[in-house]
Amino acid sequence: MDAPHYVAARVQRALAEDERTVELGIRVDVRGDKIFLRGRVSAPERRLLIEDVAREAAPGLSVHNEITLVEVREPGEEEPL
Amino acid sequence: MTQTRVAAVADIHMGEDLRGRFRPKLHGIEDRADVLLVGGDLTRHGTIAEGRVVADELRDLPIPVVAVLGNHDYHSDCEQAITAILRDAGVVVLDDEATILSMNGTTLGVVGGKGFGGGFAGKCASEFGEPETKAFVRHTRHIAERWRHALSGLDSDHRVVLSHYSPVKDTLMGEPTEIYPFLGSYLLAEAADEEGADLIIHGHAHLGTEKGLTPGGIQVRNVAVPVIGMAYTVYRLNGA
Repeated sequence: MDAPHYVAARVQRALAEDERTVELGIRVDVRGDKIFLRGRVSAPERRLLIEDVAREAAPGLSVHNEITLVEVREPGEEEPL
Repeated sequence: MTQTRVAAVADIHMGEDLRGRFRPKLHGIEDRADVLLVGGDLTRHGTIAEGRVVADELRDLPIPVVAVLGNHDYHSDCEQAITAILRDAGVVVLDDEATILSMNGTTLGVVGGKGFGGGFAGKCASEFGEPETKAFVRHTRHIAERWRHALSGLDSDHRVVLSHYSPVKDTLMGEPTEIYPFLGSYLLAEAADEEGADLIIHGHAHLGTEKGLTPGGIQVRNVAVPVIGMAYTVYRLNGA
């Protein structure tokens, strides 16, 4: 079995290079037989796609999707510079 | 001279799945700002189809829109086509050059481009060794030279630099330090500090923080959507 370090690197690379995701900002941690995904994305569909790609890149491990959705708020107060 | 209100956002990463979701957030922007700056990573894969989505989201806004591309927009080798599509939609796309906008009796000069990496003074790559390493660093140096040249010839009341990559470390806080050389370069800040600017806008660092300063004291703002959590933020440049 691959060391967790290499599994995490493989998943991270898949998320960056897979055409379905192209996500560079997702943190991947492997602990035992679990993969934890953390980061922020802008659509629920992307959150699920990232989980799919991660699962394919590390079959047999359970994926814990802790990615949160960016809620794009209305603009607030302007900042004087 | 009157004040200029600059709205800014970066890393909107549009795709077909987000079509029509960004534009409503820009409703009423003309009441809040005089110009919208978009700091790269407009698309996810850099495809022409995604470029068209971006163009449709930004088309015919009541205020001028100035944009630069980001690394994602280069991914499919269609950056020139995307630039053309955006320009057809009325967006000013800067590729290491300047534009001057007149508004409310004042002029705003914007200089910008994608920028690039290399790292920050004392912990950066240099033009030494393998050709690949030298090419990497040279790319950033050439960009910085073009920005310096564009800034030096710019005659406007206010000057803003628009980039995708970061000119400083301050706004990367939250990102792993190991990847700083891929997030920006001090050469970009050095060019702006030498020639002077009121503000530098960038994106790229999704885990970074909004506010920073160049060594020369220019305000830097990271406006990546995950950082600001808004469709855009507004900075007011006051008259001198």
